[in-house]
Amino acid sequence: MIKVNRLFKIFEGRSGQAVRAVDDISTQVAKGEVVVIIGPSGSGKSTFLRCLNGLEEFDDGQVIIDGIDLTASKTNLNAIRREVGMVFQHFNLFPHKTVLENLTLAQQVVRKRKPAEAKDKAMKLLTKVGIAEKAQEYPSRLSGGQQQRVAIARALAMDPKVMLFDEPTSALDPEMVGEVLDVMKQLAREGMTMVVVTHEMGFAREVANRVLFMDFGRILEDAPPAEFFTAPKEPRAQTFLKQVL
Amino acid sequence: MPAKRRSPQWPWQGLLVLILAGLAAGLWFATQRIHYEWHWARVPQYFAYHDEALQTAPVAGVVLAISPSGADSRIEIQPDGGGQPVTVTVETDTLKVKTGDPVAEDADLGMVRSWKIGPLTWGLWVTIWISFISGLIGMVIGLITGLCRLSPNPTLRGLAILYIELIRGTPLLVQIFIFYFFIGTVLNLDRTVAGIGALALFVGAYVAEIIRAGIQSIPRGQSEAARSLGMSATETMIYIVLPQAFKRVLPPLAGQFISLIKDSSLVSVIAITDLTKSGREIITSSFATFEIWFTVALLYLVVTSVLSQLLFWLERRFARSD
Repeated sequence: MIKVNRLFKIFEGRSGQAVRAVDDISTQVAKGEVVVIIGPSGSGKSTFLRCLNGLEEFDDGQVIIDGIDLTASKTNLNAIRREVGMVFQHFNLFPHKTVLENLTLAQQVVRKRKPAEAKDKAMKLLTKVGIAEKAQEYPSRLSGGQQQRVAIARALAMDPKVMLFDEPTSALDPEMVGEVLDVMKQLAREGMTMVVVTHEMGFAREVANRVLFMDFGRILEDAPPAEFFTAPKEPRAQTFLKQVL
Repeated sequence: MPAKRRSPQWPWQGLLVLILAGLAAGLWFATQRIHYEWHWARVPQYFAYHDEALQTAPVAGVVLAISPSGADSRIEIQPDGGGQPVTVTVETDTLKVKTGDPVAEDADLGMVRSWKIGPLTWGLWVTIWISFISGLIGMVIGLITGLCRLSPNPTLRGLAILYIELIRGTPLLVQIFIFYFFIGTVLNLDRTVAGIGALALFVGAYVAEIIRAGIQSIPRGQSEAARSLGMSATETMIYIVLPQAFKRVLPPLAGQFISLIKDSSLVSVIAITDLTKSGREIITSSFATFEIWFTVALLYLVVTSVLSQLLFWLERRFARSD
């Protein structure tokens, strides 16, 4: 489903030196697979994830989503993005739209669905994430956990083939983390292809098919969770796990 | 529960009243000193007045008959040289002739009175519509320029910066003169068009900066979320960024449009009869200098207050989602 080939993303530092946020990454994600990316902050996990839907322009390499090359000149980035849902750390709901409108807007504008059809789809998804009763509220009236569930529903409304999660629980109060993870677990069970950047080791252990450990813009370890959490090979992964577990 | 301690407000309110009363007294004494005679009664006629149009006989002849119709009277005059009788209508209480009276040509027969709009009302109207039109055009110019200012294209960005800096760095009065005497002559523009054009260009530059700031104040996450849903850059701008930015820039925009109404007084220098020019013209005939300028100031105040209330209401409506 996702194929990444020798991907580079280099930031120009303030003092002129280049920072390799993504440094020669090659990997693949199969259909229905759940891949969790962990690593210390500043290791390039978020940048890598954002390269996967072209939100971050990368400097070299290849990203192929469902057989379409992101870098090919003929590729319409917008067309790919509608197949790749993304959930952000800070939810990024549209504050001037109601919850329902947050879900229907892109369906109508991008997918050209009829208002009734879009609303139908939106209500089904809101029911699925458990906040159908808040459909007419504005996002500012919702708790962080509720907002993040709306954000997930908003991404799902586009019928994406892949879902990207960029630290979806990092900005939440601890007691709200569970409700968001539950929605994500349900998605994983339904066979959604997911790439998740997170610090939730429990989630990684329970749901992930593979864990990628990143540091200094490179993938240092790529293993099933059972193997990664019990017997990490990389010394850096060992120290990282020691600190977070 | 202990009562919350609050220092009393009335001494300060009393002081406020005292200061205002002092100011009013000072004003009164000042006008006393210069022996100014107030003629406030002269002011209302410049808003609207009862116009008395003298009706005269179109031909020499004899009044044949007078027939009342409502408050008016129809006077029929048989011309001396023969031919069809001529009819003149006047108001009955101003009737100056009787049946059988001979009348000379241009003789006074009576009057027809009607309410006419005075120069102050007219000037106020001109100020309002000139401000409205130039505000509207300025808004469009400002929106386009603001977007160009943020464009990644260096040509668009350069043009926008040049325009904004040119307008913001020169006085409006000079811009009006240049627009009228140079551009107006070259393009053969009417003075009103030149005035509106100068004001629109002026306000456009300020609106552009306000809009640019508004767009930049919207977090990047908003457009990233929209783009990640597959919306194009234009769709993102229209549906996500601009509505939110507009809500935020409403207070500074309101200030800008209130300024525009006041700045529009400068177009009187190219002989557009707006409120200010009307005031100046009235003073030459009424000699009520102080009264007219105070009235003009009050009229500007009324217009700007109404606008600011209107925008305040709009702002509150938009604040629903906060």
